[in-house]
Amino acid sequence: MTFAELVAQWLQQGLKSPLGPFAPELVISAAIVGALLVRLGGFDRAIPAWFVALGGSLLALLLAVTGLDDVPRTLAVDDQLLFTGLLRLDPWAAFFRVYVLLFTALIVGLIVLTRLVDHEDNPDLFAMLLGATLGMLLMCSANHVLMLFLGIEMASIPSYAMTGFFKGRRQSGEAALKFAVYGAAAAGILLYGLSLVCGILGTADLQEFSPKLALIFGDAALGDRVAETRGLALGLILILAGFGFKLSLVPFHFWCPDAFEGAAAEIAAYLSVASKGAAFAALVRFLAAIFDPTIPAMASMGYGAGIVLGGVAILTATLGNLAAYPQTNLKRLFAYSTIAHAGYLLMGVAAWLVLLSSSLVRQDGTPAAQRALEGLVYYLVAYLFMNLVVFAATAMIRNQIFSEDLRRWSGLGASAPLLTGCLAVGLFSLIGVPPFGGFIGKLFVFSSLVDASSLHGIFWIVLAAGAINTVFSLFYYVKILRVMVLSPRSAETAGELNVEWADNSYLLMITIPIVVLGLAVPLVLPICQWAAGPWSL
Amino acid sequence: MPETAETSHLIVRNLLTAAWLLPLAAFIAQVYAVECWSNRLSRASGLLGCAAIGGSLVLSLLAVAFFPSGSGSAHTADDGSNHAAVDAEHEAHPSATPAALAGRYYTLARFGDSRLELGWYVDSLTLVLFVVIGLIASCVHVFSLGYLDDERTEDYRDEHAHAGDEQPVSRAGRFHLFFAYLSLFCFSMFGLVLAGNLLQVFAFWELVGFCSYLLIGFYRERPSAVRAANKAILVNRVGDFGFLIGLAVLWTSVGTLQFATEVDSKGVTASGLFEQVRGDGQLELSDDSKSVVLQRHLEAGDEPAPTRPTIAYTLFVLAGLGIVAGSIGKSAQFPLQTWLPDAMEGPTPVSALVHSATMVAAGVYLVARCYPLLAPEVLLVVAYVGAATLFIGATIALTATELKQVLAFSTISQLGYMMLALGVGGWGAGVFHLSTHAFFKSLLFLSAGSVILACHHEQRLDRLGGLRHRLPWTAAAMLIGTLAVTGVGIPNPWAPGYSLALSGFHSKDMVLASALAFVRLNPLHSLLYLVPLAGAGITAVYMFRLWLKVFVGRPADQHVFEHAKESPPVVLIPLAVLAFFSVFSAVGGESSWLYRGLVTSEPAFVAASSTSSAIWPITHPGHEEIHAAHGAAGLMVWLVAMAGAGIAIWIFGYQPFSADELRATFPRLRQFLLDRWRFDALYDLAVVQPVLRISRQAIAIDRTVIDPLLHGASRLLVQLAGWGRRIDELLVDGAVVGIGAWTWRSGERLRRLQSGQLRQYVLWLGLSVVVLFGVVTWMRPG
Repeated sequence: MTFAELVAQWLQQGLKSPLGPFAPELVISAAIVGALLVRLGGFDRAIPAWFVALGGSLLALLLAVTGLDDVPRTLAVDDQLLFTGLLRLDPWAAFFRVYVLLFTALIVGLIVLTRLVDHEDNPDLFAMLLGATLGMLLMCSANHVLMLFLGIEMASIPSYAMTGFFKGRRQSGEAALKFAVYGAAAAGILLYGLSLVCGILGTADLQEFSPKLALIFGDAALGDRVAETRGLALGLILILAGFGFKLSLVPFHFWCPDAFEGAAAEIAAYLSVASKGAAFAALVRFLAAIFDPTIPAMASMGYGAGIVLGGVAILTATLGNLAAYPQTNLKRLFAYSTIAHAGYLLMGVAAWLVLLSSSLVRQDGTPAAQRALEGLVYYLVAYLFMNLVVFAATAMIRNQIFSEDLRRWSGLGASAPLLTGCLAVGLFSLIGVPPFGGFIGKLFVFSSLVDASSLHGIFWIVLAAGAINTVFSLFYYVKILRVMVLSPRSAETAGELNVEWADNSYLLMITIPIVVLGLAVPLVLPICQWAAGPWSL
Repeated sequence: MPETAETSHLIVRNLLTAAWLLPLAAFIAQVYAVECWSNRLSRASGLLGCAAIGGSLVLSLLAVAFFPSGSGSAHTADDGSNHAAVDAEHEAHPSATPAALAGRYYTLARFGDSRLELGWYVDSLTLVLFVVIGLIASCVHVFSLGYLDDERTEDYRDEHAHAGDEQPVSRAGRFHLFFAYLSLFCFSMFGLVLAGNLLQVFAFWELVGFCSYLLIGFYRERPSAVRAANKAILVNRVGDFGFLIGLAVLWTSVGTLQFATEVDSKGVTASGLFEQVRGDGQLELSDDSKSVVLQRHLEAGDEPAPTRPTIAYTLFVLAGLGIVAGSIGKSAQFPLQTWLPDAMEGPTPVSALVHSATMVAAGVYLVARCYPLLAPEVLLVVAYVGAATLFIGATIALTATELKQVLAFSTISQLGYMMLALGVGGWGAGVFHLSTHAFFKSLLFLSAGSVILACHHEQRLDRLGGLRHRLPWTAAAMLIGTLAVTGVGIPNPWAPGYSLALSGFHSKDMVLASALAFVRLNPLHSLLYLVPLAGAGITAVYMFRLWLKVFVGRPADQHVFEHAKESPPVVLIPLAVLAFFSVFSAVGGESSWLYRGLVTSEPAFVAASSTSSAIWPITHPGHEEIHAAHGAAGLMVWLVAMAGAGIAIWIFGYQPFSADELRATFPRLRQFLLDRWRFDALYDLAVVQPVLRISRQAIAIDRTVIDPLLHGASRLLVQLAGWGRRIDELLVDGAVVGIGAWTWRSGERLRRLQSGQLRQYVLWLGLSVVVLFGVVTWMRPG
């Protein structure tokens, strides 16, 4: 593409697509600046920083939701491209934009409710939180490897700082350091992988991947282009490692328990949900771009990659669940639970990739792949609420008794029945018990595993691992409830719970969707179908 | 004017529904009365019951006022929302069908096209029965306030029930409970009459039976009362068994139990039993006369089906016989009449309400209601059963020795008259006698109750006598009842309807006229006229015997006589009300308001004479034939009744023979009658003893064979469970515990991996990538 062509394209698309669709990101950017500026001139006495953050994220959410209607629902990709193809606003991106912004608004609300930070530190935390959100938004809609990397780093670097936000606590600082160093290493590996892939393909535009791959491989099989295949494989593994760090997949998960334990529960929740959702969105988009099933070589490579992902998923889920067993620190326990759920979600991605890669071979491959993707989205929606509930309840209990040690929680349930009830709903949903949203999500993911198992037998093993892991997870989730409700108060029990009505209503507000997701599937499923429709990715 | 028709339709339904449910509300309040808001000394429960039944009476009277009178065009049916259900065919012949309103409250269940519903069916028969039941029940309620006054105590001593040591049983009073039972009974009885389908009839049928059981056994400390209650409910089971068979036959063959044709809100017509069986007239037989063609409603566009549904004639007869079997049980007809005399163990107001006027008449009501469903052969059976019953009842009443026993057998006998009338085609006569009988028989029972109350529960006839000096009002009331039931009076040859006679005279005239008309058409069945004619004479004898023995002559027991004193007004006023209706309810005979009202409900095919010849030829008289026979029949029955009355007055009034002489006259016949025709002995021998013998053997088998088997099996099971437990503990628990321990150890091991060493972490990162690359390369070399 010559410079003249580029300019012509920019002129054409730039004129056609003004900043309108980009408004939520702009609002977040303005809020970051606003949060930093309120401290100047004593504005923060009139308008506290959290007000700016909450208002900004709510406004961005509103814009993102109202913008859903304007998202081009078309198979012509050009209509969805923004900024000369750096971003792509398809339903997939629009959906995850709403997802991330909704969660950000909820987490800002939670931070305000639990009074995590004092007046002084308010603007710093919110500026970083919103900065990370901006990065995630870019991850969701990145259509260019450069934007992808930028988004990932933009989301990661504020996360390191937020993990170590409590300057006085040694554990917090240590966790932040580990997180940062590990993140730096992962970023390096990711960058190396990206440059390998882009070097082989000669482009960084995701839309260009498929034509370039067709040029390289044509109708040839993988074995005919050994050098390119090996290079691509190495690059993809390195990229997988980079995403694995973001998604805390085994064996790239080491930062996760330490970082979660060091960070506040609210921040841990943010890392656990928002960054995971954005990372899955970006991963699926990247995989869909590179594994074009119309190119035979890439179809067979995608098939293999799906199997590798399935193996990683088994490892992740099993290790996450087993390691959660002996934990007594709630945040650490939920860190492992997060790892385990990343495993379940990756099972869905693996099934999708295998179904997609064989969609031209098999009659019903395309709809089956579509279903797998819908199930994944549904799981992520349920995951948002159920994980938020457990972290929010943890934060509220911590505010009352200053402990996140399960041993000090025994017998607390009676003094806060509503909180315990909401926590129970969240935990049961995490286990996957009907009639909660987690069950439906798990059901969809497992059913796409069944679909995939007709292509490769290994998915039976994946399915069995998922089922066994569900049973494993029962024990440590229920243990929390057992300690809180059935165990008597012991000498270690720290005080009473006295939950305020605001906290209770917040919990109720985020618990009800779990039940709705479990009972009113036809209400939510169309949204997931829209997000994962054929016009996306 | 569809609007006015619809409105009155709704008003009638709502009024009767309210009248029906009011006693239920009272029942609920009364059951909890003592526990919750009252005590055993309070009269509140009784007053509440009186108020409820009085309210029902008023509502029923209002419903009569609002009922669309006269014209037969009001044959409408609805489902509560659609009132435009006038059948076009019925519009064309307004006089062909009785005026009836029907509809449903809601549907209980739906099986394909067949439905089970809670419905209602109102015609003039329903209304008359509502008023009669309401009126008599009100009187009985008020009477009971006086009669059961001694129950308002914490410590009631029952002289007729003995604890082990010959001491009277002492118990808490059950005043409130009695009224609760009465209210429940009224609710059930109203429900039975209002029911819109046979299943609903059956439900309330059983409910009145159950109330009767409760009320007969009201003095449950008395073994005789308990035995009588059990006998009543068991004997009724026999009849109900037949009823159920009839229901099953109708349900399977016709596919509905609904009386009336209904049009639902979608305009779909569901033909009722009456329309399907009779259409608008006679039974339609198939060509070979072996089945009845059902006449289902056809929608406007439908072509008549080439083969219309039919029901085999034998099945149709079986269904009719089943329904009649139910009636025989409930109305104490031959051969199931034995329970009613024993039922007199209940308090006298109960006998007046349940066991003479209303519940036992339910059998007659059922036959009248299901008249279109009964084949001529079934009606013949009904007629013969009625004749046999009336004769047996009347003869036993001749020798009965207790006041209420005489009345009980008289009731059986009069119910026989009603059955006979229905059986010979005198539909109007049967239900007319049902209504008048309700008044005068309850009057007789309440008078008897007054006597019993005055004489401290002495009711043996040979201990009473000359009481008219002590109980003048009661004596007068009872005399009115006696005159009414015997049909004695001074006839007016020019206008028989306006004779100087009481209600029973007119209704019995009608019954006999129907019988005579029938016999004229079917000379083979002459007995059906001769027996009731003789019965009328016997009735006069035993009724006058009763009255004379109680109120005339020398007091047999001075102690009883000395202590007898007239009952309080609360007892006498109901007597006066009932006496009024006993005298005047039938004035005018065939042209009386009551009869003309009832006849509007008569099934259409009864009006004209008809001959059927499915199995054997029977000709039923129409209105004209019956009217023609009226004069002759009336004269004969009057003569016979007067003769009977004369004989009774001569023997028991002037007493030409001593009591011992009388007893010695026909000792064997007398003993036969005292043994009640030996029915009880026969049933004891044929049913009770064999059942007891079989049950004893069953017990023996149970003890010697089944129990050891069961014990052995249970011991074996315990053994097996023990082994199972051991296996469970060793294998299953062991496995679970083992897995748990293993996962825990794995977790601990994994935890060690997470060492917290930063350098190690990053090392792991690099190592993982290398290993993964190795795996992939190995997986797909090249």
